Amino acid sequence: MSAPRFREDLLEALSNAPGVSGGESEVRSIVAQAVRDQVDTLEVDAMGSLVARIAPTSAASAGARANGSGPRGRRGPHVMLCAHMDEVGIMVHGIEKDGRLRIRRVGGIDPRILVGQVFRIGPKGVAGVSGVLPAHLLTKEDEEKVIPYEDLYLDIGAATREEAMKQVAVGEYGVFDTVYEGWGRVRKGKAFDDRIGCAVLASLVQQRPPVPVTAVWSVQEEIGLRGATAAARRVTPDLAIVLEGTAAGDAPGAADEESAPHMGGGPTITIQDRSLMADAKLNGVLTRVAARRKIPTQWKRPGIGGTDAGKIALSGSGVPAAVVSVACRYIHAPAAYLDLRDAQRSVDLVWHALEALRKEWPVS
Amino acid sequence: MPPRADTIAARKNSDEARSRSVSDWLRHVTALPGVPGHEYATAPGIEKAYRLYADRVTRDRIGNVYGWIDGTGATPRPRALLAAHMDRIGFLVKRIEAGGFLRITQVGGFDPRTLPGREVVVHGRAPLVAVFGTKPPHLQKRGESDKVIALEDLYLDTGRSEAEVRRLVRIGAMVTLRQRPVDLLGGRLAAPGMDDRAGLVVVIRTLELLRERRPVWDVVGVGTIEEEFGIGFLGARTAAEAVDPRLGIAIDVSHGDMPGTREGDTVPLGGGPSLCIGANIHPKILDGLKATARSLGVPCTFEGCAMQSGTDAMDIQISREGIPTAVIGIPCRYMHTGVETVDPRDVDRSARLLASYLADLPADWSVGERLK
Repeated sequence: MSAPRFREDLLEALSNAPGVSGGESEVRSIVAQAVRDQVDTLEVDAMGSLVARIAPTSAASAGARANGSGPRGRRGPHVMLCAHMDEVGIMVHGIEKDGRLRIRRVGGIDPRILVGQVFRIGPKGVAGVSGVLPAHLLTKEDEEKVIPYEDLYLDIGAATREEAMKQVAVGEYGVFDTVYEGWGRVRKGKAFDDRIGCAVLASLVQQRPPVPVTAVWSVQEEIGLRGATAAARRVTPDLAIVLEGTAAGDAPGAADEESAPHMGGGPTITIQDRSLMADAKLNGVLTRVAARRKIPTQWKRPGIGGTDAGKIALSGSGVPAAVVSVACRYIHAPAAYLDLRDAQRSVDLVWHALEALRKEWPVS
Repeated sequence: MPPRADTIAARKNSDEARSRSVSDWLRHVTALPGVPGHEYATAPGIEKAYRLYADRVTRDRIGNVYGWIDGTGATPRPRALLAAHMDRIGFLVKRIEAGGFLRITQVGGFDPRTLPGREVVVHGRAPLVAVFGTKPPHLQKRGESDKVIALEDLYLDTGRSEAEVRRLVRIGAMVTLRQRPVDLLGGRLAAPGMDDRAGLVVVIRTLELLRERRPVWDVVGVGTIEEEFGIGFLGARTAAEAVDPRLGIAIDVSHGDMPGTREGDTVPLGGGPSLCIGANIHPKILDGLKATARSLGVPCTFEGCAMQSGTDAMDIQISREGIPTAVIGIPCRYMHTGVETVDPRDVDRSARLLASYLADLPADWSVGERLK
């Protein structure tokens, strides 16, 4: 059976939606709406992660649904596929007398990209600009200094605290004001880490998979891999594949050994990062399938970053886990790039890996 | 005689003219590209705007754009020159690197700290969207984010292949910040290029008002070139030579009130036009503007410009045999960033003040005295 088509329409909707760690509900609604008709069960867990179970093709699925036992132990291993819904952003931390908003970052953002930017704040999407002194008024000392978070503020046009509080509240989140668009095979948008994973996962469940799958769109990855930690305990899978948007290293001036992976170079497979030693056997399945299907793949440079897979692997008595990513330039910045071919190839790779796992993976 | 070689008949389309509020004009004019030396990209948009209200629209051979309002006085009539600059700060492509990444040089003074992660338009054979590349925290070395990235270390990424970039982009291509205008509370508007697109909108709106209420004088609104280039205000100098005005007024942006500035160093957003005081400003014009503001009930603030005003008025003033000048500043926060913020009310007030002042100028107004 051929793999499902990648749903670019979903990537667009997901990229444009706000969903900073702890405030993922709008993203969750989009995913839920998109997959509701394809999955057998769909739940929101205690933390806010979205959990969908989908039984494999054939009569097994009817049985699994009928006895309510879930898909575990039917045909092939029970696979957890996971992508995180949250993005890095900011939170309104205080409102000053003069109407300015004091902000804190949520997740890892380089303070150097927050200056002179535009944000959308709260459910109403109120616009705010991060003010900065004009170059004319700077001293030499100022120019050489990175503006620390605590000195940043947003100007929403309010002249007083009261005026500001009519539009925004302390604790509301802010996201970069970036619009999804594209040219050629490149797509530009915010939050590709990890809305691309969310879209790949939603694309995969459009068809009944070859093995029992529990799809998890997790919360709070960017602030410590928290949603997946809880979700994995609930799902208790036989193995897990995490779908990510990872940092492409193909910047000018990057040393050769630092330049992997490349945007457009095919799905990126993790060997080891700061959270995980990827399961070697599972990676073997992925690379064999890629070779057989002539899907180009690349290795992620070891030792960089961490994903939900790290926490899933530690769950219960341990879960073999792997990570398949789309290499994106400029993640954790206002506008990232990805190559649409990598998105479809990630769907292809994971789909065919599920087929292989049905045949090859031992189930206790 | 002033240059009228490229005279374009004024088109009267008052419906379109009236329907456009100041805020709409700001959105429209800030979207025009045109870095110093590339004002040909701004000029058609300004000419189109002038044509709605002016009796004649002309462009001179170095690129200044003029909109002429004919006065009611007997010829030869004195002329007033209103100058706002058509260039905006930006960049030029300096080098195309392996992978199609672009290195740039700036035309105008940016704080490079405001650039990482920003979107731009590279004006190649077709306009190309690009972003200033950033290194995600995952790939940074310890302490890297404590260091400011210098302009020469920044690069642009169009997301396209090197071959495509080389086909579409030439060395020297213009680059401008890309940012949709942002609506803030109270009608305030943030966009790159407010410096000095806000001034251009003041001129456009002033011409509109003067069409309704004809002055005795001729009034010439000029979009000048190369104000931001910094080696002498070429456009202002040549426009003043060509028009031979009896007075000149530059309309530019003034630093709006912002955190981190001391009181007195800035003027408040929403406080009305800022009337500059200093060596570039002739007291007689200043007194006239003050009196007009008072009679109109238009709020205004005052701003000391010790030494030089840093505007087109500097060069208009020393053109020909010396020309009395004044400067009107539109309060603007975060100047020379992608979020230059103004209050459109200040733009409208500046235009009303100017139009009323100019409409009331008597034919025998002059400065200078014969003492013996």
